[in-house]
Amino acid sequence: MISYISSYLVMASIYGIMALGLNFQWGFSGLMNFGIGASYMLGAYTAALLSAAPTPEHLGGFGVPFPVDLIGAALIPAFIAFLIGFPALRLKGGPFAIATLAIHETIYLIVHNEMWLTNGVWGIRDITRPLYANIPQRYDTFFLVIAGGFLIFFYFFFKKLVRTPWGRVVRGVKGDEDMALMSGKHAWSYKMQSFVLGSAVAGVAGGLYVHYTGFVSPTTFTPLMATFIVWLMVMVGGSGNNKGVLVGAFLVWGVWTGSEFLTDFFPPFMETRAGFMRMFLMGIILLIVILIRPQGIFGKERILPRYLRSIRENYTPSTQEGGKTNNR
Amino acid sequence: MLGSLVNGIILGSIITLGAIGVTLVADILNFFNFAHGAIFTLGAYFTYLYLNLLPETGTMFSLSFGPGMILAIGLSMISTSVVVVVFDKIIFRTLRRRNASSLFLGLTSLGLVFVMKAGISMIWGPQVHYYGPIQSAINFPLGIKVKPDEFFIVAASLILVLVSYLFLKYTRLGKAMRATSDNVTLARASGVETEKIVTWTWVMSASLAAMGGSLYGIEVQLRPTMGWSFLIPMFVAVIVGGVGSFGGALLGGMIIGISEELVTSLLQDMFLSLNMNVIMSAYKPAIAFVMVIIILLVRPHGIFGKKGA
Repeated sequence: MISYISSYLVMASIYGIMALGLNFQWGFSGLMNFGIGASYMLGAYTAALLSAAPTPEHLGGFGVPFPVDLIGAALIPAFIAFLIGFPALRLKGGPFAIATLAIHETIYLIVHNEMWLTNGVWGIRDITRPLYANIPQRYDTFFLVIAGGFLIFFYFFFKKLVRTPWGRVVRGVKGDEDMALMSGKHAWSYKMQSFVLGSAVAGVAGGLYVHYTGFVSPTTFTPLMATFIVWLMVMVGGSGNNKGVLVGAFLVWGVWTGSEFLTDFFPPFMETRAGFMRMFLMGIILLIVILIRPQGIFGKERILPRYLRSIRENYTPSTQEGGKTNNR
Repeated sequence: MLGSLVNGIILGSIITLGAIGVTLVADILNFFNFAHGAIFTLGAYFTYLYLNLLPETGTMFSLSFGPGMILAIGLSMISTSVVVVVFDKIIFRTLRRRNASSLFLGLTSLGLVFVMKAGISMIWGPQVHYYGPIQSAINFPLGIKVKPDEFFIVAASLILVLVSYLFLKYTRLGKAMRATSDNVTLARASGVETEKIVTWTWVMSASLAAMGGSLYGIEVQLRPTMGWSFLIPMFVAVIVGGVGSFGGALLGGMIIGISEELVTSLLQDMFLSLNMNVIMSAYKPAIAFVMVIIILLVRPHGIFGKKGA
């Protein structure tokens, strides 16, 4: 039971890190990245190839030890995001989202088909699990310290980051791009930096994932599991609110793992369809959140300079998501 | 070479049917509908449903199906429209009243994708379905292989595209739709009932998608993920042609369809001659993405795009 809860907490933390990265892109910079799963996948495979034992089946076996390969897991998705940003950031809104989605599909196809690189559908086995030999029984609990540590680090990192002058410009670009341009801020460049940063953070989450499970295959990175569920976490918690996103991550992952029990009650002939029941549930949750509480549980975090905090009580919160009609 | 050109035209005509729906919704409702692929799938499955309910009608001409198929597609277009309009009334109308941003509407449609995809998989199961036995192709000169059904696919989509074009251009409703897309406030001031226009936009978009899905079902097979794999080509066709442009959707759809087939076969030949073991057909979806990058670098607003759009 304890190992079950620990394993839930580890996965929720890993997804929480990804959700924080996406929240920075969407909640603070307004980038509709439907390819967050691609960064997760790239990070996972980078970490796997850097640290897995050498085999003739695929590339890899560089013998990079655990914490160091996470740097690679952050750099590769960041670099790919940088390259993709050039054409994709020319697009806005829906077209940008579809471009990132197309990137996800393309990278998925490469990972799925190129046997020499990633061993294709068979996946990569025997990825080093740090200190596994020492504590095989309590491994989930041990890894929770690592994943939770990263989660807490990234939480405070983003919390501080959005309050820095740099973070203020990023938020300003989301609020009104033309205004930011008029103030002499290179809006495009800030969007690019935010896109790259969020992708790098998702890459770290991917790296942590492979070291936790010791195995990686393309099936982990379906649009549902790698992208949509992360969006759901951000939307449930409240986009633009780091604390909310953390709660959203643990809540949504709880519902997702909990719904697995639910499928046990299905009659055997329904078993193949039970998985779709869970997918259905996830979609319905998003629609309900959007219809009933579009700002998420916590709503948008209001970031005020210190001298304004005193008059916070007198300030009525503005409307939730939306308000602008024609920002395509 | 010519063979893949022909395949490209067939694929392109199916993509066009979807792309017109995407461009209509993007233009009149002001958001990119990610659920369009799922609507495409739903249409194909509705046709499958009606095909099994209707009595066997045999075959006509040298096609693999009879008049029953045409009736089934017609019923499927109606049923798909009804489902989509219901979704609009429950979900999107609420968001419109709230003045939600177009990004928010797009995100909502992504949620709808998973609801619809999971719903379809639960009802019909995740396995592959066929309308009927797959036809064998007739050999034409110059290495062109065409199934008789494929003539039907191209002809049916061209007729439907033409009908939609005439509808938008000459009917009262079509004119009102174009007026709404140009300027909502002005259209409303001129007495256009915009809610009604929105409903008809969904009906048109859903019927075309249902038709596209059914035609793809005739050509290949039904899978719950079929629409998802068409979503990127459809969107790319719209971006390439220019958002809101009818001719752009047609041209964009054809460009994407033909280039996917042509580039795949050309690159495959190249890799074979270089003795490289790359299965290019697996990368077809990636080609649409490369196309959009090239077009956007040359013409940032698409081929027929309005400047400020």
